[in-house]
Amino acid sequence: MIHALTNRLLLSIPVLIGALVFGFLLIKMAPGDPAQVMAGPSATPDIVAEIRREMGLDKPVLTQLGLYAARLAQGDWGRSLISNKTVLSELGAAFGPTVELMFASMVWSVPLGVGLGTLAAVKRGSWIDRAIMAVSVAGVSLPIFFIALVLMQFLGVTLRLLPFMGRGGPLWSVDGLRHIAIPALSLGLIFIGPVARMTRSSVLEVLRLDHVRTARAKGLSETRVILRHALRNALIPVVTLIGLQAGYLLGGAVVTETIFSYPGIGRLAVGAILSSDFPLAQGAILLLALGFIGINMLVDMLYAVLDPRSHKA
Amino acid sequence: MSAVERLDLDDAPPLARAPWWRALLADPAAALALLVFMAIVAAAILAPVLAPFDPAESSRAMMRPPAWAARGLPQHLLGTDGQGRDILSRLLHGARLTLLIGLVAVTVGGGVGSLLGLLGAFYPRLDPWIMRGADVMLSFPAILLGLALVAVMGAGVAPVIIALAIATIPDSARIARSIAESVMKQEFIEAGRAVGLSDAALFTRYLARNCVSSIMVFMSLRFGQVILLGAALSFLGLGARPPAAELGMMASQGRDAMLLAPHVAIIPSLAIFVIVLTVNIAGDALRDVLDPRLRT
Repeated sequence: MIHALTNRLLLSIPVLIGALVFGFLLIKMAPGDPAQVMAGPSATPDIVAEIRREMGLDKPVLTQLGLYAARLAQGDWGRSLISNKTVLSELGAAFGPTVELMFASMVWSVPLGVGLGTLAAVKRGSWIDRAIMAVSVAGVSLPIFFIALVLMQFLGVTLRLLPFMGRGGPLWSVDGLRHIAIPALSLGLIFIGPVARMTRSSVLEVLRLDHVRTARAKGLSETRVILRHALRNALIPVVTLIGLQAGYLLGGAVVTETIFSYPGIGRLAVGAILSSDFPLAQGAILLLALGFIGINMLVDMLYAVLDPRSHKA
Repeated sequence: MSAVERLDLDDAPPLARAPWWRALLADPAAALALLVFMAIVAAAILAPVLAPFDPAESSRAMMRPPAWAARGLPQHLLGTDGQGRDILSRLLHGARLTLLIGLVAVTVGGGVGSLLGLLGAFYPRLDPWIMRGADVMLSFPAILLGLALVAVMGAGVAPVIIALAIATIPDSARIARSIAESVMKQEFIEAGRAVGLSDAALFTRYLARNCVSSIMVFMSLRFGQVILLGAALSFLGLGARPPAAELGMMASQGRDAMLLAPHVAIIPSLAIFVIVLTVNIAGDALRDVLDPRLRT
C-alpha cells in the first residue's frame, strides 16, 4: 500500500507541474497587468505595486513560476475578475455541490452497473447477456447532453415531477434531493454502460479460475459461488477501472452542471473560461487537477485494501 | 537474402491476414453498423454537394419542424433552427466537422501513442520511460486538458483537437505496447534478427506491420469516445465557433428551444448518437474477430 501510494505521489508531481504551468499561463495571459489581475479591479496602485514585487514580475520566468506556486501554497489564489470575490471562496462554494453530484450519480449507477455486468457474465451468450450488452453499447454512445436535455424535458417540463434548475440545498435535505435527482440520473446513466462492460469481462475472467471450480465442486449453490467466490474477486479490477473512469465522469459532470445550472466546479470553470475570468479559470483548473489526483490516490488505497496480494509488494 | 526475407514475410503475419471483413459481414448488426457509418461518412464528405442550402444562411422560416410534421416546409426536410437555417444542410456540414475533429485527433494522438508503444516494446530500455510518461498523461483527464487548453488558447476547433489528440496518446501507447509485446515473442522476429535485418527494417516490416490491424481496432473504439468528448466541448461553447456548423454546437443552440422546437436539439444529438453507436458496434465486432485479447 505504501508502495502504491509512493508511486502515485511520484506520478502526481508532473501532473501538478502541468496544472501549475497552465494556471501560470492563464494569469500571465490575462489582459493588462498580471499584478492588477491578481489584486482585483478595485485594488489601489500601492497594492498593485506591492503584488508586482511579490510576484517578481521583473525576475526570470521560472522564478515567477516558483513564486506563483508559493503563493498558491499560501492560499493566495487571486480574485475573480467578475465577482471580485477571492478565487478560493468561489471554489469552496462550488466544491461541495460537485462532490454531491458525483456521489449521487455513482451511488445508484455503480451498483446497477455491477449487477447488470454480473448478470450478463453469468448468463453469457443468452439473450439476457445480449440485451444488457446492447443497452451498454447504446449507453456509452449517447452524448451526455442529449440524455440530460431529454430527461429535463420529460421529467421536468412535461411531467413536472421534479425541479431541474440549480441546487435546492444540501444533499440531505428534501429540496436538495429533489434538485439533484435529474442531474444525478443523467450523469449516472452514462456511467452504467462502462461499469457493466468492465464488470462483465472481469467476472468472466474470474469464473474461469480454479477456486471457482473448487467452490462448484464442493457443491455450493450457484448464487453462493457467484456472489462469494467470483464477484468479490472480480470487483478488484472494477474498482481500479472505475478510478480510471473518474475523468470520464468528470467530463460528464462539467456538461451536466452547465445544463442544469448546477453551481459546481464544472460550471464555474466553463463560465470562467467563456467570460475570460482568468484567475477563476486558473483556480478551477488547478482544483480539478488536485481533485483528480486525490481520486486516483483513493482508488490506489482502496485497491490495496481490497487485494491482499498487493500487500506483499 | 531477399528470398529468405520474402519467405519470412509470407509466413509472418499471424494477425493481419485474417479475413476480417468476411467475419464482420457474418455479424448482421456489425455489417449494418458499418454500412450506416460509411453512408454517414460519405454524406459528410459530400456535404457541399448534397446540402440543399448554405448552412449559415438564415431565413424568415424559423424553428419550423421537419417536413412531415404540421407547419413543416417541403424545402426544409428536417426543419429549420432558431435563425431559420436549414437543419439538414447544417447536419451534413456539422457531421463533417465533427467527424473531422475526431479523425484528426485519433490519427495524430493514436499515431504518436502507437509509435511510442511499439518503440517501448522494441527497445526494452526505453520502455519504463515511455510507460511512466503514459501514466502521467493518464492522470490528466481529457476534459481537464480541453478546459485548460481552451482557457489558454481561446475557444475553437484547434485547442479541442489538440486536447483530444494528447488525451489519446497514453491509451494508444499502452495498447500498442501490449499488442507489440506478443508479436515480439513470435519466432519470425527472432528469424528476422538471425538473417541480419536492421532494427529499422525489423521494426517497420516485422513488428509494426503485424500490429497495425489490432491497433486500428482500438482506434476505432477510441474514435467514438473522442467524438463524444469533442461534441461535449462544442456543446459547452468551448469548441467550434459560429457560423461553422458542428453537431455538439447545434444541439447547444437548440437547447433553449426544447419546449417549442425540440427537433432543433434532438436531430444533431441523434446524429452524434448514431455515429458513435455504429462506430462502437463495428469496432466491437472487429475487435472480437481480429483480436479477442483486446476484449476489456
